[in-house]
Amino acid sequence: MPHALVTGPAANVGIFLKSLRSNPIETSIESLIALFKRRQIKSSRPCAIATAHLLLQVIAKMKWSNVGRLLERVQEVGQRLMEAQPREMVVGNIVRRVLGMIRDEAKEDRTEETGANSSATNSQVGSPTTQHRDLPSREHAAIQMALSSLRNGTATSDLSGEEESDDVFTNAKSVPSRPPMVGSSTSYAVLTGTNSQKSQMFNLLTPAEGSPAATPPVGNMSPKGKSDLNIKSLSMMMNSTTNNIKSEVITGVEEIIDELEQVDDQIASYALDHIHSNEVILTHTSSRSVQKFLLRAASKRKFTVILVESYPNNHSATHAIVAGSKPRDNESEHLSHEVFMKPLSATGITVILIPDSAVFAIMSRVNKVILATHAVIANGGLVAAAGARVIARAASVHKVPVTVVSGVFKLSPDYPFEFESLIEYGEPNKIVPYDQGELVEGLEIDNPVYDYVPPDLVDLYITNL
Amino acid sequence: MSETTQPPAVEAIEKPAPTLAQATDIPQLSGSELKKKNKAEKAARRAKEIAEKQGVVLAPVYLPVATPALAQKTNQSKPEQQKKPGASSTDSRSLTIRAAQKLHIPTIPDIPREEDKTVEFFRHLNRPKKTGIQDAGKEVHQAVLGVGLQIANYTICGSCARLVATLQAFKEVIASYKTPPGNTLTRHLTSHVLSPNIEYLASCRPLSISMGNAIRWLKLEISKVDIDVPDTESKKRLCSMIDEYIYSRVIAANEIIANAAAEKINDGDVILTYAKSSVIQAALVIAHKAGKKFRVIVIDSRPLKEGMNLASSLQAIGIRVRYCLLNGLVHSISDATKVFLGAHAMMSNGRLFSRVGTAIVAMEANQAAKPVLVLCETVKFTERVALDSIVLNEVAPPDELVLAGGALERWRQVKALQLLNLMYDVTPAEYVDIVITEYGSVPPTSVPTLYRTMNETE
Repeated sequence: MPHALVTGPAANVGIFLKSLRSNPIETSIESLIALFKRRQIKSSRPCAIATAHLLLQVIAKMKWSNVGRLLERVQEVGQRLMEAQPREMVVGNIVRRVLGMIRDEAKEDRTEETGANSSATNSQVGSPTTQHRDLPSREHAAIQMALSSLRNGTATSDLSGEEESDDVFTNAKSVPSRPPMVGSSTSYAVLTGTNSQKSQMFNLLTPAEGSPAATPPVGNMSPKGKSDLNIKSLSMMMNSTTNNIKSEVITGVEEIIDELEQVDDQIASYALDHIHSNEVILTHTSSRSVQKFLLRAASKRKFTVILVESYPNNHSATHAIVAGSKPRDNESEHLSHEVFMKPLSATGITVILIPDSAVFAIMSRVNKVILATHAVIANGGLVAAAGARVIARAASVHKVPVTVVSGVFKLSPDYPFEFESLIEYGEPNKIVPYDQGELVEGLEIDNPVYDYVPPDLVDLYITNL
Repeated sequence: MSETTQPPAVEAIEKPAPTLAQATDIPQLSGSELKKKNKAEKAARRAKEIAEKQGVVLAPVYLPVATPALAQKTNQSKPEQQKKPGASSTDSRSLTIRAAQKLHIPTIPDIPREEDKTVEFFRHLNRPKKTGIQDAGKEVHQAVLGVGLQIANYTICGSCARLVATLQAFKEVIASYKTPPGNTLTRHLTSHVLSPNIEYLASCRPLSISMGNAIRWLKLEISKVDIDVPDTESKKRLCSMIDEYIYSRVIAANEIIANAAAEKINDGDVILTYAKSSVIQAALVIAHKAGKKFRVIVIDSRPLKEGMNLASSLQAIGIRVRYCLLNGLVHSISDATKVFLGAHAMMSNGRLFSRVGTAIVAMEANQAAKPVLVLCETVKFTERVALDSIVLNEVAPPDELVLAGGALERWRQVKALQLLNLMYDVTPAEYVDIVITEYGSVPPTSVPTLYRTMNETE
């Protein structure tokens, strides 16, 4: 079932988002994991958008009785996504934000209606304990999640009226069918690799589970069987606390998605505070945030932009952005459904394209460096497109201020022990083409995609807050 | 105040000067009828005048070239013109000139419609592009023509290679030179034969600093030739001097430097180098032949990708080579133990003038506390100084940056887009730890001293 969706090489965010509506949730998860692993969705913003949309569907399509189960589910899906592409730190950021948002909603809710919930849960303590008998607790949790995901998959495929089938899994007769399912789900490298971390996360959850409000009654689905008919009708129909939370959580995720859509414009609104007339601005790569930032400033002021082409990993997108032609490959950050931006030079400002080697030579004439970033890590350092560190260093040598534009969603709490672990390496084909077989064979070829830029080289961050 | 004075002035401007009657009309503006009448008269008169004027304008313009039929027509309609042919002709002349000027004005903005695609910072470095053989004067020797073309398409690219090729070509120029009667070799050779050749080479690609040094030396030697010595003998002497110069300043110097640099390589070293320098290549080969175990990291850059050549030839003789572009520099520099850099020139303020990107490598090496060694023959030393990479540099044709099939192919049509293809940059002296020359290894601060002592001995 997980590989039912065949993802072609052209699959990208737009196609994924379209398929998200129609596909069962587990298929969507697997297809996104595959897209991440194959680097068919890459760079921060598309990854963040895809993750947020997927989590929205996970939350919307899942039938859950209490917040603890929801948190578990989101954590489990998030963990799998993060494992799929650990260097896309935004995936983790989005998952953490969604989790935090759910916890906040739950906390508000719990303080309001503790009494009502505790009475409701006491009556249904029986079903979880029967499951605990069968399996050790860790595997039990994993199975539960696999089950719930499978259940959601079947539930959404026949939306209309077969919600009752969900309850099959909680009935005694469905118990024997569990082991094969465990086998199929643990066969993903993702799941097997995450066991140790999962246990940690479950430990974090135990206080919530132990509290009277959040003890998970798994068999609690049947009374609320109609709940996943429709998100809107659900929030209107249900007056129980769980469903209030659900609608709030869903609007919360939608807000995150909205933020992702607007983040570049929000950042761009600060442009006029930072760029004045006749400045010489040096920037790097084809980043959408930076382009929008500069375009906004260009609407009012005349300045010069020096664009470093970032060869060999981003140069084609950079060339396309200065020439004003639409990039042909899916290397660029542009989502398929987005309107193409006009080139900077169309607003009348001078754009000078230089190769990476001329950075030091021209830096003495530059007033400001504006960098885009892939992620910002806990110490304030950047993971940015390769070449950014050289630019930042050359700027600091020439005492040129370095400004980084970054959406808040790129700020990551990760702080790796070894910075090299953040760096992804691209294909050597881009440096020495494979048709030069002898050279490819004999040479060791390095093509890092990212650079780590230490925080002392950055003067200012501009975010959307 | 100003408002009250303005209206008459405006009227005066509006009214044509020659109408004296109108000036007398102006005071009689009391009666409304009179006014109307006057106005009507005026209008009629003006219309008449204008019609006449236009007729005058049109007729004489076409008269000189016009067909006889047209001339007749105009003559018939305005017989008064025939009375004063002189006046009309002067009128027509002044008018035609004015008309011609009017015609020219719109054509002027049409000419600079083609946008200046050169980068403002480097506009002072631009040179007229002419590299074809057809552009060369007849004084240019065929050997020089060939060298010029090879230099222009980067077949001969390095500073030393260009120097040697140029001197060899000049040797042929001198060998085939015949002093015209009534002239001496000393006076005639430099100004009439060598100069056009040098100009041609400079038009192919700006002369390198080492070439400038060598040409200055050659001119000095020619000026020193004794007038009484027969031409054949002095030509032979000059050629052997050129050979000696090439040997002592380039070939022997290369060998000494390569050996000195090879000595600095130890077992287990990782040598990082940028682009391609023939001296560095020689040094690495010598060290490899001496049985030293070391690795090489070649950093390279677009568009010349000279390092590819170095990497493949080193790999061919069995040295372990890592090859990456500037984006891999930061990751490779921590693995390196020594950084070897080639030079285009050493400035008198100790700065290194070399292939664009060298400064970046030196900066990162300095940051990572790796020793930076510059391998440079003294023929590349210059008394000039440079603080940045902008005052003194070479701008290569920007179209070299365009990738086949890429979005940049139509960059010339994109308004306000400029491409910059620099050739060199200047590395600050503090990034360079040592300069290895054929006279020994010196710190960059000693470059002017070495340059001076060297020139004193000559």
